[in-house]
Amino acid sequence: MAMSKYPKLFKYIIVLQQYWQNLFVYRMSFVVWRLRQFLSSFTALSVWSVVFANQKTAFGYAQDEMITYIFLVTVLYNIILSSSLNALSGEIYSGSMSTKLVKPINVFLSLGFQDLAHKILNFGFVILESLILYFIFKPSFIFPNQSYELIFIAWVALAALICFIINLLFGSIGFWSPDSWGPRFLFYIFLDFTAGKLYPLDILPNIIQKIVYLTPFPYMSYVQIQLLLGRLQPNQILPITLTMLAWTVGLILIFKLVWQKGLKNYTAMGQ
Amino acid sequence: MKKIKTYFKVWRLNASNTIQELLVNRATHLLFFMGKMIKLSMSLLFLFLIKEQVAQFANYTTDQVIVFFLTYQFIDVLAQVFFRGVYLFRDRIIRGNFDFMLLRPINPLFQALTDHPDINDTIFLIPTTILSIYIASTLNIHITINSLTLYFLLLINAFLIAAALHILVLVAGILTKDTEGFIWMYRDMIQFARFPVTVYLEPLRSILFFIIPVGMMITIPSEVLLNLKPTYSIGVAFAIGLGSIILSLRLWKWSLKKYSSASS
Repeated sequence: MAMSKYPKLFKYIIVLQQYWQNLFVYRMSFVVWRLRQFLSSFTALSVWSVVFANQKTAFGYAQDEMITYIFLVTVLYNIILSSSLNALSGEIYSGSMSTKLVKPINVFLSLGFQDLAHKILNFGFVILESLILYFIFKPSFIFPNQSYELIFIAWVALAALICFIINLLFGSIGFWSPDSWGPRFLFYIFLDFTAGKLYPLDILPNIIQKIVYLTPFPYMSYVQIQLLLGRLQPNQILPITLTMLAWTVGLILIFKLVWQKGLKNYTAMGQ
Repeated sequence: MKKIKTYFKVWRLNASNTIQELLVNRATHLLFFMGKMIKLSMSLLFLFLIKEQVAQFANYTTDQVIVFFLTYQFIDVLAQVFFRGVYLFRDRIIRGNFDFMLLRPINPLFQALTDHPDINDTIFLIPTTILSIYIASTLNIHITINSLTLYFLLLINAFLIAAALHILVLVAGILTKDTEGFIWMYRDMIQFARFPVTVYLEPLRSILFFIIPVGMMITIPSEVLLNLKPTYSIGVAFAIGLGSIILSLRLWKWSLKKYSSASS
């Protein structure tokens, strides 16, 4: 009853707080996770620095452009692709999801806030780590004059939403099977090479680029950075926005179908 | 000799169990296999793209850099084939199943390290090794019989260092009840050696040669194979191999005295 005087979203803020509290119970795991992310960015920056040691441009990128790209992709990866939903399929398969389903809360909002808590924390740490990397590599960042901040923010939000739905879809595998790691592993492998984490996609051969653009992966950080670097033509902005919207709507529809079918199949004996 | 036969029999039995597990989860393992093939293909594609655009990578030619990557690929997968059990050790500790390993008349370290050989990686290792040899044969590199012999000896040394690092992860598991973070940290550190470790800035370079000696595992053997002057002498690499295995075994024995069953 006491809750009623608080806004409806208050209970989801508690979900957010609880997630942080749980995460800091396993502080060591979190520290190691962050260290791994840091090392990954450090390797990419080192390799590209060596590539540019003896030449001014490679793959159509100047050194400063490439280093700016790697810094931005590091930050965006931590906002868009970090997810707290890796254990969702296990929760569903084991039946422990029941406790969430019977509570007077919206399951997806609850999972969404949990994901948001994860992203906020990762974002905070990636900024700190980027500062350390900045002092090690001392890059000169290059940003063009035209300002597309609002479009950039909208694209980041859409990409985070696409990623959230994809993770929910992987979680839904738990309605039928305990093994979601196979598809998830394949997904992350694809993502590493096609979302532009290690290198910009336009260094790949044309045929591979065309195939990659048939998937949602390039929209999960690559296009956002290209926009900030001024490497997109103004006439490309609308088609990219529409494609992202189409992916979002399409994936939501698929997820709704899968979730409803899954719920019919769901049993939680002994829970 | 009898002891070796017994241990081989136990390992074979574990491998057979793992194969049965793999056959039950065929679809998942197929996806893992596909993922690994895609990862390897994309990494090689990236290296060949660099080769087209960049003539010199630090003090190495891009052909030489590809050899460093292929060596990394081989050692990394080989260690996973034999030591996949380490990835499951946290679960054994938390559930109390490690207690059973301590009770059996088989060395618990042997069980913890090797009780779950990775069949998927074994299958992956065969075509990728053949592919690596083929790629190496197409590169513009200078290899001699002597350099090849020394390379194989250094690969054995690298395997010893990999074993030592996996034992250290087990030690960390006993002390902290967590192995996942440490084993993935090892995997991240060994990834530095996809490229010659000498390209990294200090103090990271020294860390990668002497603290987590992935440089001794991959950079030195590759340099020797390519008839380049190794960054550190071969004697240092072997000394680190021997030293790391002795140190890890001592720490393992010490950690066992600290072990308390978490559950049962």
